[in-house]
Amino acid sequence: MAGVVKAPGAFAITPHKVSVCILVNIYASPSQISVPFPFSSVSQHNRLGLYLLALTKSCDDILESKLDQLINQLREVGGLLDHWLTDHVTSRLSSLSSPDDLFNFFNELRETLGGPDSGVMEDDQVILDPNSNLGMFLRRCILAFNLLTFEGICHLLTNIGIYCKEAISSCSSYELRRVDDSGNDLESLSEYENMDLNLVFKKINEEMEARKRATEQVSFHLHLPKELSTLVEDIEVFADPKSEHNDKGRESSSYASGELLRDVDPNGGVFLRTNWQIQGYLMEQADTIEKHGSSFTLNAFELTLRQLQKLAPELHRVHFLRYLNNLYHDDYFSALENLHRYFDYSAGTEGFDFVPPAGCNSFGRYEIALLCLGMMHFHFGHPKKALEVLTEAVRVSQQHSNDTCLAYTLAAICNLLSEIGFSTTSGILGSPFSPMISVGTSLSVQQQLFVLLKGSLKRAESLKLKQLVAANHLAMAKFDLTHVQRPLLSFGPKTSMKLRTCPIIVCKELRSGYHLISEFCCEGSTMTADGAFSTAWLKNLQKPMGSLVLSQDNGSRNNSNPFLFFTQPSSIPGSVMQLVGSSYLHRATAWEIYGSAPLARVNALVYATCFADASSSSDAALVHVKLIQHLAVFKGYKEAFAALKTAEEKFLCVSKSRILILKLQLLHERALHRGHLKLAQQVCDELGVLASSVTAVDMELKTEASLRHARTLLAAKQFSQAAAVAHSLFCMCYKFNLQVESATVLLLLAEIHMNSGNAVVGLPYALASLSYCQTFNLDLLRASATLTLAELWLSLGSNHAKTALTLLHGAFPMILGHGGLELCARAYLTEAKCYLSDPSFSGIIFIILLRHLYLILLISRAGVPSSSFKVSQDWGCRKGIS
Amino acid sequence: MLSSESNKSLVGLIYRAAEQLVGIEQDPAKFTPSNTRFQRGSSSIRRRFRTNEITSTPPTGVAYVSTPVMEEDEAIHGDFYLLAKSYFDCREYRRAAHVLRDQTGKKSVFLRCYALYLAGEKRKEEEMIELEGPLGKSDAVNRELVSLERELATLCKNNTIDPFGLYLYGLVLKEKGNENLARKVLVESVNSYPWNWSAWSELQSLCTTVDILNGLNLSNHWMKEFFLASIYQELRMHNESLSKYENLQGMFTFSNYIQAQIAKARYSLREFEQVEVIFEDLLRNDPYRVEDMDTYSNVLYTKECFSALSYLAHRVIMTDKYRPESCCIIGNYYSLKGQHEKSVVYFRRALKLNKNYLSAWTLMGHEYVEMKNTPAAVDAYRRAVDINPRDYRAWYGLGQAYEMMGMPHYALHYFRKSVFFQPIDSRLWIAMAQCYESEQLHMLEEAIKCYKRAANCNDTEAIALHRLAMLHRELDQPEEAAFYYKKDLERMEAEEREGPNLVEALMFLATHYKTQKKFEEAEVYCTRLLDYTGPERETAKSLLRGMRIAQSGFPSMDVEHFHP
Repeated sequence: MAGVVKAPGAFAITPHKVSVCILVNIYASPSQISVPFPFSSVSQHNRLGLYLLALTKSCDDILESKLDQLINQLREVGGLLDHWLTDHVTSRLSSLSSPDDLFNFFNELRETLGGPDSGVMEDDQVILDPNSNLGMFLRRCILAFNLLTFEGICHLLTNIGIYCKEAISSCSSYELRRVDDSGNDLESLSEYENMDLNLVFKKINEEMEARKRATEQVSFHLHLPKELSTLVEDIEVFADPKSEHNDKGRESSSYASGELLRDVDPNGGVFLRTNWQIQGYLMEQADTIEKHGSSFTLNAFELTLRQLQKLAPELHRVHFLRYLNNLYHDDYFSALENLHRYFDYSAGTEGFDFVPPAGCNSFGRYEIALLCLGMMHFHFGHPKKALEVLTEAVRVSQQHSNDTCLAYTLAAICNLLSEIGFSTTSGILGSPFSPMISVGTSLSVQQQLFVLLKGSLKRAESLKLKQLVAANHLAMAKFDLTHVQRPLLSFGPKTSMKLRTCPIIVCKELRSGYHLISEFCCEGSTMTADGAFSTAWLKNLQKPMGSLVLSQDNGSRNNSNPFLFFTQPSSIPGSVMQLVGSSYLHRATAWEIYGSAPLARVNALVYATCFADASSSSDAALVHVKLIQHLAVFKGYKEAFAALKTAEEKFLCVSKSRILILKLQLLHERALHRGHLKLAQQVCDELGVLASSVTAVDMELKTEASLRHARTLLAAKQFSQAAAVAHSLFCMCYKFNLQVESATVLLLLAEIHMNSGNAVVGLPYALASLSYCQTFNLDLLRASATLTLAELWLSLGSNHAKTALTLLHGAFPMILGHGGLELCARAYLTEAKCYLSDPSFSGIIFIILLRHLYLILLISRAGVPSSSFKVSQDWGCRKGIS
Repeated sequence: MLSSESNKSLVGLIYRAAEQLVGIEQDPAKFTPSNTRFQRGSSSIRRRFRTNEITSTPPTGVAYVSTPVMEEDEAIHGDFYLLAKSYFDCREYRRAAHVLRDQTGKKSVFLRCYALYLAGEKRKEEEMIELEGPLGKSDAVNRELVSLERELATLCKNNTIDPFGLYLYGLVLKEKGNENLARKVLVESVNSYPWNWSAWSELQSLCTTVDILNGLNLSNHWMKEFFLASIYQELRMHNESLSKYENLQGMFTFSNYIQAQIAKARYSLREFEQVEVIFEDLLRNDPYRVEDMDTYSNVLYTKECFSALSYLAHRVIMTDKYRPESCCIIGNYYSLKGQHEKSVVYFRRALKLNKNYLSAWTLMGHEYVEMKNTPAAVDAYRRAVDINPRDYRAWYGLGQAYEMMGMPHYALHYFRKSVFFQPIDSRLWIAMAQCYESEQLHMLEEAIKCYKRAANCNDTEAIALHRLAMLHRELDQPEEAAFYYKKDLERMEAEEREGPNLVEALMFLATHYKTQKKFEEAEVYCTRLLDYTGPERETAKSLLRGMRIAQSGFPSMDVEHFHP
């Protein structure tokens, strides 16, 4: 009911919990010494304990497992004890035939718990600490039972009956191995049916029959006109997609009917797990959705959500998950609707566990709703709308003094500003920012971004939001990488400012982002870690390897260690891994820009090997793109295309765009090199189409497309057009402050003019490009600009050959060390030309020719490193001779 | 509260049972209009039909008992049937079903099935409370549905099912979520026996869009008119609904039911005066009526009739305290008195009695807004729209709540929804325009568009024209501003209203025409301004003076004025 929030941790006692209680009772039976009766070793005993712990914590599903699933798992855990355990559980369960039995059972349980003054405990006695996890579980069960009304106890009894019977019927239908045991159970059950006081069980039988009838293939529609029967068939579609979840070796028909059962009669035998587990489950699912994006199955999860909503209408988190699901499947309207619904119901006070619950004011936290809405608009490519909404979020967070939300909102705005090209924010980023941007709004977007980043970082640090701090450091590094720090004020001492980017600062920022991996535990989400650990533990049970390790019941202590080892990585939250991973990605990009090919490659490789599991699919695609590009530049197209093929297979259903773009890029370059101009133009056009997609304009892609367009024109010798395209591109880069790109464009302009025979016009462009490169520390680009400059000098006449040669020799270390095949080739060619144009160098023409040979080999047979190695050796020898 | 909940469930059951039994007792042979017309004459038809309508909404707790008319096959087992019927009336449903276990007559079969169904419903309601989990688990099901569906399907297959059986079959199918089949079966039921209003109302609940409605294959019968009128109202096609009801009223002149429905339709069309008259009339004829009185109380609330509302509240509480409508009326009364906490208590009670009582959710939302408890208000409104997404008032309330929290951008989403469902309500457009106008958004162009819409749909409070004029003035568009000021002025003159707005309009028009050099018009406005006291009067005087000087002192300008 409105305004009334129910106690969140409410705990209902269910048949599954009763059986866990029975197991706990076995695990810690009060009268035994050191290793209790059925266990033959300490490790066996511990394994059961671990298993029980996992059962109470794991969040891999929303529903409690059925008895047969429990029995299956017990078989994995129990090893030799398997029969004894399952028999004990089933017989204990089926002995509960009247409400009084239940009362006695829970009274017995109470004895398992040590008293609060467990100091008097004897040495070897096993007593469950009431404050341990299992102890707490037991206490909650007992409490929940004591709170039950008599009707509630009756329901519990009925449900236990159904729970047992289902297991038995399914056992007898598909399990041959356990025929003997199930036979026992059936016997014991028939005993109960002969009892006088078997009202309960009779009722259960009736119900079971009714359900069976319901699940039998619905034959009663046969009489109806065809139209009707087709209508009827519609409803049976449900069961289908869910069968993916089926990991047990059940035959499909029985399973389908079981699934239908869930829908037909949710009352019998289907119970939600504890609130804690469900929240954990939803969190895990949210992570997976975000990680996998659109490859996550929409409908199957939607079905689960629908079921969850039916079972727990007051669990509003479901709406949020639905929103996420719709968001990543690009369903704008449903996403919007569900987002609004979620925040209307929850007032932002549910979920988001980083907010201390004590700080909850009576106004609700609707600013989070705005934050989410803003991010949604961003995702759907409405940056302007997103910015408006986020601005509102900033204002509302300030009003409600929700600093955490403010910090996150600022980070989101920074992200938005840095990702989407805004030429101006005037009129959007207005008044609410004035407390942060005290200098007024006459700043450029970049300056505003810088101020915001600083503010966001400071805020996150003061609020001790470690992850946000790390993310902000990364954003800062990105900013520093591509922007020169200029003074914010137009007056005051400026001399101290070096107008260059500073790689050291970038490195520092990246490093401070990395600290997160050792500090994340302060974030306080132990809950998810616990849950994830337990889930992983249980999942490992199902792997064949797991059972193999465990069935060696030789009593050595280390047989449980392999498990711990395998599940260890999951103890670091996925989000932390992702952040740390992306710091490596940033490093790779930074080195790429600074022009150190090996370092870029190493970082990309580190990411691909260490963080592939935790990375989101788009990041993983990006790293593949980087590696393949590296291959293309240094090993030639053959290898690059081979690698691309594997990458395409890997990211088949994921948003292909990145991989697709890479493919187009490679195709375009190869076409240019081979002189297939038509093909190049075609590919280039396709790239242009991608750049002007319906979703937000990706500036990076846009520049890329027109850059390639200009290159194609250049190759087609349409110089004036190429120059025009490049010029307009430069204007755009200038407008949106894309300075790194500007350097490239300037270089291209220089090349265009050089090729059109206008070397004099080209010179200033080359020089401008050089100065850009210097400012932004783009060493490799600088080397190639130097090379172009040398070429320009050379084309001015043979008397400038010396100048050219000097320039070239200056750039040689960089080019040979980090440059790709093409660049090296060009450098050699230019060098050769220099020598040729100077008559005094005729003596070394032999060497030059050899070098040419080397070049031709390289270019024509690119991708055969062994041969090039051979040639270079060859070359070395001859050089020695001469 | 628990007792009231179970009370509600029982009330619901009896209610439905009575309806159904009434349906049984109306022997089709006797009840076809042609027959009756010959036998009893037209006035008695009216009376008969009226009782039919009344009994479809009987006062609660009245079990409608009368001797059923036997069909041939029933005669033999009439005693069993009678016994079962008595048990049934005493709410001993299972007992009734047991008595009829071997009976094969159509009526007996139906009564048995229906008794079973009701027994299941009763148990379901009980379980709903027993099983209420921490997260509001409300998945108690009627456990009889499976066997009932099986049996009825077989009957249906053998073609040995009567229209009532079909109705029950439809009901069961609906509960099981098989809506398409349920619709088919219900249509079949009402086509073969049109007087079963319960079947019609089940059918209505299954028709949520006009398309579904048009897809139904209904044979023509005057009951269909009732159905259509009712469903049009549900689908917010108020004018269509009203005309249908008015047609029907021609036939059934004294039907209270139709009268109430007409009142409701007119209420939706915001014709409050007429609604009040109708309800007063209705209460005179049917003084113990509780049904639909919540609408009456809404009217009284809007008209701020304190004493009439308190009188109505007193009356209904004497009649039946535990009806959602009664609670709602009292809630309205307290709300009018400004005692919002008490009002919420009564709305809550109404919702306890009927969880899906739409207007109570919305009204409770309004109360929470008054109490400045926005999260609770938002929650209440959201529940209302989740029950019926076409409830524009709740959408509007959501928008208002978010606007109160200073989130105009967010509020806009809801205002948009609300105007989508009710595009003819000027208040909604004005609210949306104000949202656009707010200092955070400051999207004046959009605000103007909204005000224009508001001005077009009969803006009774005349906010839109004034705001339009102001906005145009703010945007430096004097022509448009003058246009709207003039319109506003005309309107105020027509309604004989005076106030600062009038002075402002006159002032603007005077200066505007003066700068336009249309001195004659300017003079007219200036002289009108002279009737008012205050600084404007002085300004008008100086304006006049200035104009006279301009006209007399510089004739050249005059020439310019006349020959532009």
